[in-house]
Amino acid sequence: MRKRGFIILIGVLSSLAVWAEARFPKPDFTSGYQYPVILHGAPNEMFWNVVDIVMLIGMMSLVVWGAYRKRSRAVIYSLSVVSVLYFGFFRSGCVCSVGSIQNVVLSLVSPDYHLPWYVLLVFLLPILFALLFGRVFCAGVCPLGALQELVNIRNFRLARSVSVALSVIPWIYLAFTILYAATRSQFLICRLDPFVGIFRLGGDMGMITFGIGLLLMSVFIGRPFCRFLCPYGALLSVFSSLSWKKLEITPRGCINCALCGMSCPVDAIRSPQSSRTGEERRKGVNRIILFAALLPLLTMAGAFLVGGQSDALSLAHKDVYLYELLLQQQARPDMEVPLEVETFNALGGNIEELKARVDEVRLDYRFYTRLAGALIGFIIGFKLLKLSLKRSRKTYEVSSAHCTMCGRCFSYCPQNINIKKHEKTIS
Amino acid sequence: MNKEKLKSPVERRDFLRRCGTLMAGGVALASGGLLATKSSGKAGEVFWQIDPYRCTQCGRCETDCVLPVSAVKCFHANRVCGYCDLCGGYYRPNVKELNTAAENQLCPTGAITRKFVEEPYFEYTIDESLCTGCAKCVKGCTSFGNGSLFLQIQQDLCQQCNECAIARVCPSDAIHRVSNANAYQLKDHA
Repeated sequence: MRKRGFIILIGVLSSLAVWAEARFPKPDFTSGYQYPVILHGAPNEMFWNVVDIVMLIGMMSLVVWGAYRKRSRAVIYSLSVVSVLYFGFFRSGCVCSVGSIQNVVLSLVSPDYHLPWYVLLVFLLPILFALLFGRVFCAGVCPLGALQELVNIRNFRLARSVSVALSVIPWIYLAFTILYAATRSQFLICRLDPFVGIFRLGGDMGMITFGIGLLLMSVFIGRPFCRFLCPYGALLSVFSSLSWKKLEITPRGCINCALCGMSCPVDAIRSPQSSRTGEERRKGVNRIILFAALLPLLTMAGAFLVGGQSDALSLAHKDVYLYELLLQQQARPDMEVPLEVETFNALGGNIEELKARVDEVRLDYRFYTRLAGALIGFIIGFKLLKLSLKRSRKTYEVSSAHCTMCGRCFSYCPQNINIKKHEKTIS
Repeated sequence: MNKEKLKSPVERRDFLRRCGTLMAGGVALASGGLLATKSSGKAGEVFWQIDPYRCTQCGRCETDCVLPVSAVKCFHANRVCGYCDLCGGYYRPNVKELNTAAENQLCPTGAITRKFVEEPYFEYTIDESLCTGCAKCVKGCTSFGNGSLFLQIQQDLCQQCNECAIARVCPSDAIHRVSNANAYQLKDHA
């Protein structure tokens, strides 16, 4: 009886392609056995994405209120705590605005990549706020910045030359991020995120160590990650320097007491300086012309230098890496077969097809490495040009490109002291 | 130099700044609009999942996930399973006795349990809370059995990283983004 059942079953099974791999026939149960119903956990991400966007808008609005209206560090500090707890530890830091650069780049170059609406908003909203009010996102909404803000106790000032030189790094980082995202090689920012391992209490040990090192550093230096690494901060600083509203330390007018400048952890408060630097006007103009002429040269040099490394850099792409491994394997058949090669052979991969794909990727790399190099060269040239411009200032001014709105300077400014309140406490 | 000329630089600076703000605003709006067109349309494929038919059970799912214990778990398709007594996914190769003693089991965490159904069938169940996604059982079942054991990313554990750390190292390129409607790529839905 059972034998006949088997034969019928096998007949049915062999007619279905789905069951082609079945080595053992489907059992015919006689005891009334029912297949168990197994339920798998559904993703509930959509709900939290909506909450994320609401939190993002709400917290950025609160920062604007706290910085422009209330002039209170307490508001911004408490928002930093909320951000670290919610965006950091609870939502474990993904997807973040910094990383969303990559999704945006990918969606621009790749027609088959669909940019989720919330990733778009996570990318655009902080830029919109930066255009209106400055870097409110950095202040107490970005969990990476907030974490550094919370541990920052003392501020040892870096020499201006050092901080200007280091501020090129975010742009180099951005250039390589765009290169790797546009060629679909990897998401560099996600890979090198120093704090996500801390938020998740686990992950790549190297990155966690780096993150802890950065945090230790930020106890003594204001926000090293935001100033010298973060590519999104670099983008925001551009929009922020062109912002509609600018943050003022006090509405009552500066008295040049220099207290605010000492309180600033990110060197965003510029001291007064006269435009008469003792040099001839002609000399200054000549220098500016020189650097302006240098700008396209540096851009081209950057494109040439990075573009020359195109083939070496393309090894970051999975297909190119596999292809190189295959070539190595063919050259030295006695070496241990890497897992990638083994899998490629096991799946019956065609090396000609792979070669065609690799050539395409390398062509992409040739274009995008030049683009990345040009961007780096342009930024270096632009920074030099900007350094050669000497603006006169009569009072202490906030450089909105650098200000991360931590709110420290408000309480340092004697003009902000509420006289009525003080009279009360004295009496 | 007359008086008006002396006054002018600040105004010029202000004017340039306003132009800059307008330009930046324009650029932001234009790029926002452009990106919005990229974002609209078809349903988003945002959840990471393994294609079980491409998986080669290399074992990297266990080690490369950002979570302390991987979000990849072994799933069991009962409708594909042969309910064998000598199960390639349950027993180590060359076991002497077919009993549930720990030394006979292939699973390093003992996450697979088996229950006698009727002669000669056994039902296998996975305790996902114990599974580490090492794929040893999947390899055994796929090599010697019906391939009813397979790896899937448990969606309520997955952090939905912007770039899946396992997808980056998967040698068979089996991990891709899927839509909410197809959050799992099961073997027994057919």
